[in-house]
Amino acid sequence: MRILFLFFLILSPLSESKLKIEITQGSETLPKIAIVPFQNEILSGRETISSLVEANMTLFGEFNSIKKTEMLSYPNSEENFFYRDWRLLEVDYVVIGRVDNTDLTNLDINYLVFDIGLKKIILKGDISGNLNELEQISKIISNRAYQSITGLDGVFNTKLAYILNPNKNSYKIYISDIDGSNEQLLFKSLSPLMSPSWSADRKKLAYVSFEKGYPEIYIQDLLTGNRSSIDTLGMSNSAPVWSPDSKYIAFVMSMSGNPDIYLYNLRNKKISRLTRHYGIDTEPAWSPNSKKLLFTSNRSGSPQIYELIVSTGRIKRVTLDGDYNARARYFPNGKDIVLVHGNDGVFHIATKNLKSRFINSISKTSLDESPTISPNGNIIIYATKKKTQGFLAGLTLNGKSKFTLPVQEGSVREPAWSPLAN
Amino acid sequence: MKNQYAALIFATFFVISCTTTVSDKVTSSDYASAESDVYVSAEKLDINLSDKIYFNFDKASLTDSSKELISEYIDFAKNAKAIRLEGHCDERGTREYNLALGEKRAIEVKNYLIIKGVSSSKIKVISYGEEKPIELGSDESSWKENRRVEISLF
Repeated sequence: MRILFLFFLILSPLSESKLKIEITQGSETLPKIAIVPFQNEILSGRETISSLVEANMTLFGEFNSIKKTEMLSYPNSEENFFYRDWRLLEVDYVVIGRVDNTDLTNLDINYLVFDIGLKKIILKGDISGNLNELEQISKIISNRAYQSITGLDGVFNTKLAYILNPNKNSYKIYISDIDGSNEQLLFKSLSPLMSPSWSADRKKLAYVSFEKGYPEIYIQDLLTGNRSSIDTLGMSNSAPVWSPDSKYIAFVMSMSGNPDIYLYNLRNKKISRLTRHYGIDTEPAWSPNSKKLLFTSNRSGSPQIYELIVSTGRIKRVTLDGDYNARARYFPNGKDIVLVHGNDGVFHIATKNLKSRFINSISKTSLDESPTISPNGNIIIYATKKKTQGFLAGLTLNGKSKFTLPVQEGSVREPAWSPLAN
Repeated sequence: MKNQYAALIFATFFVISCTTTVSDKVTSSDYASAESDVYVSAEKLDINLSDKIYFNFDKASLTDSSKELISEYIDFAKNAKAIRLEGHCDERGTREYNLALGEKRAIEVKNYLIIKGVSSSKIKVISYGEEKPIELGSDESSWKENRRVEISLF
C-alpha cells in the first residue's frame, strides 16, 4: 500500500497546488521594484530566476513591479547600470544578476540590489546550487533582496501547515511552501485533526488527532514520517505549542473535566502543571524568549486573554474590552499580540499592544479565527468562511494589501506559519 | 586628536559604503508522509428518545427541557453497560476553546446523570468542539443544531 502511494507521488509531480495567493486589495503607494532578467538565466524548460524572484517579492502585495517590456535597459553588472533609466520609470529598487551556467550541476549566480533613491548598491550576493534547485535559489535571493530593502527578514522560503477537510469524514494535514507550491500531505484520518504547531527547527509538527476516539497530541517527524504521542494516561490533551527554545511543548490537559495549561518537557518527558482553575484555561502561546505564555481563560465569566510568567506562575489579565477574546499569539517583537476578538457574535482578527488597553480589529470578514503571524511580523494569515466553505485569507500589517488563498474543494483551516529556515 | 580624527573618517567611510555582501548555498529536504488510521466505533443501543441535548451560545448550563430529556434516560442508563456523552459547539469562537466548552457541556450532562443515581464509572465524556457539526450553514438555524451533547448507550 505504501509502495503504491509512493509510486503515485512520483507520477504526479506537476499536480495543481491546492492553495495559491490571490491579492484582493492593493495600493498605488507601494514601493516599486524591477527584477531585471539575469544574464544567461534562460535554462531550457525552466522558469527564469528573475520571474521567480519577481513572483516572490510581489507575493503578499508589498511591492508593485514593472514588466520586462517596460524596462529601458537590461543591466547585468555595476558597469552597465544607469540610475537614470530607473528614475524615469519611478522605480525605487532594482535587482540585477548573472548566471554562470557552464556547469549545470553547480550553477553560480551573482546578484546586486540597487536603491535608486539613495543612488547606491545595498546588497551584493552570490549563491550556488544545481538546476533542480532554481526555486530554492530564487527564494533565498528574494529573502536577501527583501531584507536589504525593508530591514525585515524575508519569509519566501518559509512554509505553511494547514488542515484540509475535503468532506465529512476526511481530515488531512498538509504543509506547503508559503506561496502554496510543493504541498505535501503529512497525515490523513477519518477523524478530526486540529492545531498544527511547528517545532523551532522546522523538523517536527505537533497536532491534535482524534484517531483513538478522543483528542490526543501527536508529534510527527517531517523527514521520517514517524509519529509519537504525548502520554497523559488516557486523558484528552490538545492545543500543543512548541517553545522557541525547543525545551517544552505547552499544552492543555483536562484532568477531571477541568482544562488547564501544562508543560511537557521534551528532554525528560515529564509533565508539569501551570494553571489551576476550575474554569476553562486553553490556547497557550509562547513569548519569543520562551519566558511567558499567553492563554485564553473564562475565569472572569467570558473568554479573555491572560499572560503567565512561566518561572513564577504569576498571571495577569491582558484584555479588558469585548465579550470574547481568545487564541492570542505574540508578535516576534514580544510587545504586541494578535488575537480573535468577538463582540455580539462577530469575530474579527485584532491586534493589541501589551502596554495599551486598545484592541484594534484588522480584518473585515466576520467568522475569523486561527491567526498566524509571519516570522518577520509583517503579515498575518488567518482562517475564515464563506457560505459553507472555509478558506484562508491574509493581510499585511500596514493594511495596504489583502489577499486570499482559495481552495478548490472542501474547507481549509488552522494555518500555521513555520519559523524561518536556519 | 589624530586618533579621534581617524576614527571619525573611518566611521563616515563605513556609513557611506554600507553594502552588505552575502554568500549562500542551497539546501533542500524532502518530507515523508504517514499512513492514515481507521476510526473505530462500537454497537450502540437503540433507544426511542431524542439523542441530543441542546445549549445556548457560549454556555454549558442545562435548560429545564434538557433536564427533562435527560431524566427520561435514567432507567435505561442504569441498565446500560456504558454511556457515552459527546459534546459539540457551533462554529463561532475559537477551536480549542470550543473543544473545552464541548467538554464542559458533556460534563454538565454527566453530573446530572450522577445526581439521578447513574454510576459515574459507566459514563465516558468526550468533546469534538466545533469539529463535527451537523449543519454547515452560518446562521442561528444551523448553529443551534450544532450546540449539543449527543448521548449514546451501550
